[in-house]
Amino acid sequence: MTEVSRLTIGPKPGINYPVDVLYCGNCSMPIEYCEYYPEYEKCKQWLERNLPSEFEKIKICDDNTEGAGDEEKKRQKRGGKGMMKTKKKEDGPKQICVSRAPRGKKKSVTVVTGMSSFGIDLKVAAKFFGTKFACGSSVTGDDEIVIQGDVKDDLFDVIPEKWPEIDEDLIEDLGDQKR
Amino acid sequence: MFKKFDEKESVSTILQLKSSIQKGIRSKLLDLYPNLDGYLDAILPKKDAMRIVKCHDHIEIIINSGGDLLFFRHREGAWIPTLKLLHKYPFFLPMEQVDKGAIRFVLSGANIMCPGLTSPGAEMIEAPKGTIVAVMAEGKQHALAIGVTALSTNDISKINKGVGIENIHYLNDGLWQMKPVK
Ligand SMILES: [Zn+2]
Repeated sequence: MTEVSRLTIGPKPGINYPVDVLYCGNCSMPIEYCEYYPEYEKCKQWLERNLPSEFEKIKICDDNTEGAGDEEKKRQKRGGKGMMKTKKKEDGPKQICVSRAPRGKKKSVTVVTGMSSFGIDLKVAAKFFGTKFACGSSVTGDDEIVIQGDVKDDLFDVIPEKWPEIDEDLIEDLGDQKR
Repeated sequence: MFKKFDEKESVSTILQLKSSIQKGIRSKLLDLYPNLDGYLDAILPKKDAMRIVKCHDHIEIIINSGGDLLFFRHREGAWIPTLKLLHKYPFFLPMEQVDKGAIRFVLSGANIMCPGLTSPGAEMIEAPKGTIVAVMAEGKQHALAIGVTALSTNDISKINKGVGIENIHYLNDGLWQMKPVK
């Protein structure tokens, strides 16, 4: 009897679907592909912090460097550079920017950007600001919240208090915006 | 197809679908992928509101009520699963395995060349030309790309030159990076 290839189409017995795949928090790919990511080191750091047991497995593979030479040779034979690009967006350091923008002649609003880089739901954050400062607050764009009122200085206390993972130093004051 | 795709710039509208159209799509999906029978209700619950995201360059994406990206198509072509969906239900596309050396090229968006499918680390399941296939890799468990065969697998072995599978969607391309649609 020949062995059935794993490539054969159709549900496999003994597996419950949907399959739960472990994705890397750094490169977003299944963790078995992290080694192909240009910032593999960052992937490893993420693994060490979040999936220590998987990190151990990878360390063992890395120590076993046999075969790496083989692959190097193979690579040279093929054309092109075959290099993945890193993601554009999430590469930048996580940071929140706050600024004040004029609204009408006397009033001003506060613009907050960068909340989503911390994985914060913008709608929840907008609602929170609205309640906290008793004023209008809404999500106005991709990763932008506008709070109706000048509350910029208060944000340096309010944000770290509500989201402890955001240090006060990670909030940048962009000052006043001109419209 | 999604090399330059960017969710911010590429999405134009989101459509709610009439139930008759939803039914049509469901039966089309089962025709295309008979192995989904018994699983489609879990992927696209009947009571759920199926929506379509229309994007530039004639790309459409089916999403469920939670906004998960499920299937896409180009210019009224066949519905193709996203890799996120395929990882959950990896059995409904025929799979073709590339050797280790090809992985980095596939991940940079390159088409899959025949020699990468015929070398000792590779393995193929018979498929005619024009089949939507999952691209697997030597030593790896999960698919890294989805493509369409440019030649039948028999011809890939025989000719062993040029493009064997056209790379349509791969890990970390624009579609992969697109977040669930709210
Ligand atoms: Zn990674």
